[in-house]
Amino acid sequence: MLTCRQLVELLVDFLDGELPDERRRLLEAHLALCQPCWAYLETYKVTIRMTRRLPDVPPPPELLEKLKAAMRDEGLAG
Amino acid sequence: MEEPRKEPQPAPSRHSAPATAEEAFHEYGPRVYSLARRMLGSDADAEDVTQDVLLQVIRKLPTFRGEAAFPTWLHRVTVNAALSHREKRARRQQREIHDPIDRLFENGSHQHPVRGWSVGPLDEALNHETHRLVEEAIADLPEHYRDVFVLADVEGLPNAEIAAMLGDSVSAVKNRLHRARVLVRHALAPHFEEAPAC
Repeated sequence: MLTCRQLVELLVDFLDGELPDERRRLLEAHLALCQPCWAYLETYKVTIRMTRRLPDVPPPPELLEKLKAAMRDEGLAG
Repeated sequence: MEEPRKEPQPAPSRHSAPATAEEAFHEYGPRVYSLARRMLGSDADAEDVTQDVLLQVIRKLPTFRGEAAFPTWLHRVTVNAALSHREKRARRQQREIHDPIDRLFENGSHQHPVRGWSVGPLDEALNHETHRLVEEAIADLPEHYRDVFVLADVEGLPNAEIAAMLGDSVSAVKNRLHRARVLVRHALAPHFEEAPAC
């Protein structure tokens, strides 16, 4: 039987589908009996999803003028 | 002695006019600036890196043949520029980082109650407050973990590609990614946890 800590250490491989069968069965057996680990797994997955959905942040408009100046310095057309 | 980082070179080409500053800024600025800002945790440093990378884009975009190769090249150039900038700013301190997992478990079990989160799909995708909390949690990560987390979970790069970019093993990348996720999850939990059952 895995401890909760051991289970948490396996989550990257588990979610990537890279856990060997025997370890995966042990992990799933633990999850079936341990509500805190089940909640941990679900919230770990939500954390990943939230991160994946971060929008790009536009650079400040002043940077465009700096970029044009740098292009002029380098003799690049702009 | 560390070898100087090699800049990837775009594939040789046959067409395309040079990009203007406006095109480069509007087309690639948000991607480059977001990645640099998350890796460096500083707006000013991200601006420097963005300017440097966009100049490279303007110089080299006309030499690009395969459009499919361009996003990979842009990622690599941005990551390299961000890492070089950080090295210039201050030599990276190789210090011992306490394993974040140590403080979450006692005798192998969760040290604190673990509750579900009340967060819906729309909150995850659209809520500005959620984005702000996640950005803050990323900025608070130790650099050692932040690079891997940003490249894997924000940018969606495969672990093997990240390992090649950072000069690490895949298992080291996975280990750091997991610890970063644990820290980000830990930072977000108080904001989303459901109230305890009475």
